[in-house]
Amino acid sequence: MLQPQEIPQEAPGAEPQAAKAAIRGRAIVVTSGKGGVGKTTTTANVGAALAQRGAKVALIDADVGLRNLDIVLGLENRVRYHLLDVLESKVPLDDALVTDKRVATLSLLPAAQSREKDEVDTELMRALVEQLRERFDYVIVDSPAGIEKGFINAVVGAQEAIIVCTPEVSSVRDADRVVGLLGNRFSPQLIVNRVRPGLVKRGKMLSVDDVNGILRLPLLGVLGDEADVIVSTNRGEPVVFDPNSRTGNAYRTIAARIAGDDVPIPAPPAEEGFMGKLGALFRI
Amino acid sequence: MIDADIGLRNLDLVMGIEKRIVFDLVEVVEGRCQLRQALIKDKRFDSLSVVPAAQTRDKQSVSEEQMTQLVAELAEWCDYVLIDCPAGIEHGFRNAIAGASEAIIVTTPEVSAIRDADRVIGKLNERNQPVRLIINRIRPDMVRMGDMMSVDDVCDILSAELLGIVPDDEEVIDTTNRGEPVVLDPTNRLALIYHKIARRLEGELVPFTNLAAPSLFERIFGTWKAG
Repeated sequence: MLQPQEIPQEAPGAEPQAAKAAIRGRAIVVTSGKGGVGKTTTTANVGAALAQRGAKVALIDADVGLRNLDIVLGLENRVRYHLLDVLESKVPLDDALVTDKRVATLSLLPAAQSREKDEVDTELMRALVEQLRERFDYVIVDSPAGIEKGFINAVVGAQEAIIVCTPEVSSVRDADRVVGLLGNRFSPQLIVNRVRPGLVKRGKMLSVDDVNGILRLPLLGVLGDEADVIVSTNRGEPVVFDPNSRTGNAYRTIAARIAGDDVPIPAPPAEEGFMGKLGALFRI
Repeated sequence: MIDADIGLRNLDLVMGIEKRIVFDLVEVVEGRCQLRQALIKDKRFDSLSVVPAAQTRDKQSVSEEQMTQLVAELAEWCDYVLIDCPAGIEHGFRNAIAGASEAIIVTTPEVSAIRDADRVIGKLNERNQPVRLIINRIRPDMVRMGDMMSVDDVCDILSAELLGIVPDDEEVIDTTNRGEPVVLDPTNRLALIYHKIARRLEGELVPFTNLAAPSLFERIFGTWKAG
């Protein structure tokens, strides 16, 4: 059994990064340690935003047994086969890939719901990501929470990592642990999610600087805590498809930064809405 | 209380006892210290203790049998043994449920959380033990607007007995960050809710109050109800 401390190194005989990088896509794992901080929402939105820019994007739901990426993308009724069917060579990869309804360059490889993470072979998972990198510009892997076998399988094929963290001490500590486990590979970048600037101002929430003072990672993006994300997630319509959503815009900026554009990180919206403002007034 | 999230411990931070940890869960089950040496007594309540998880080990370091034995040992002299389960349904989850005789499922009114909860309830049902539900982070204004599932919606899908309804409250983030559980602040509205949950666990019949539609007045003056 693999231990978290033992993320397998590059496959033996793997060619140096530079040699084939030009023709292969980038494999990025989205992970956090803590559950419920926004990994799946981030995977869906960053993937969709990259695809909107014209890139070919494959999303892998690595949360075998607790899959959700299909729901967040609104593709749950189009799932026919899943990750384990492919890894066990029961069906060809193309039969399992679900093409997005809105952006044809976005594909999803769903997780199996009624199987266990222990059934996933780490080496086969690595090979699958390699295979996808030959056909897609981006392969984004949605990692399960925790640091067990499911986490190892999610990171094994990736070259880069996105760490999603909320401004809570428990989330920061888990993220710090995950960064430690990733070691010197994966060049992790940080997304701070669910920031409420009003609370930060009143000293009731850690600021982005507080969080990154501990984690010390290159900052990829900052997201507010907005109701439209919950609504869009429940409806299976990622916020990046809403041109007026501020969170959608923040995700588009993250995608641009991943693609190499030199664009600044927009500040999360300061106002908490009319009710929030009223509430804040009365609480002081 | 046992923090079963080996490698990603957090209960110590939330209880504000992180600086008092000497021994941990893994050292107890490996016999490298006595259970009583690892127990950290709460600063505020004499009858509350925590067995912290190990931070630099992994979940494979403990077996289901060892957890069952540890819980049984604690149950001999504790009225309640609360086990904080890690996320997911892997080895850490199996360890956490191994010694338990009942379960509390915490979910939020989001499709993804409910689907995961449904899967976990399915796994717990195989053990024929009571499973009860706490719905967390309800935003009554969003429920009213039809933008969030209601308590009834969630209960219908999961068909488990309801134990508590906890509204989304920004105070929790702050108190958690400071290591002071909200129940310590009697003026906090969540304190009342958690006390009601505790009373229900004790077997009392405590009615749920309606939080589905707080008026503007209630919202402003912070008196909206929950259960």
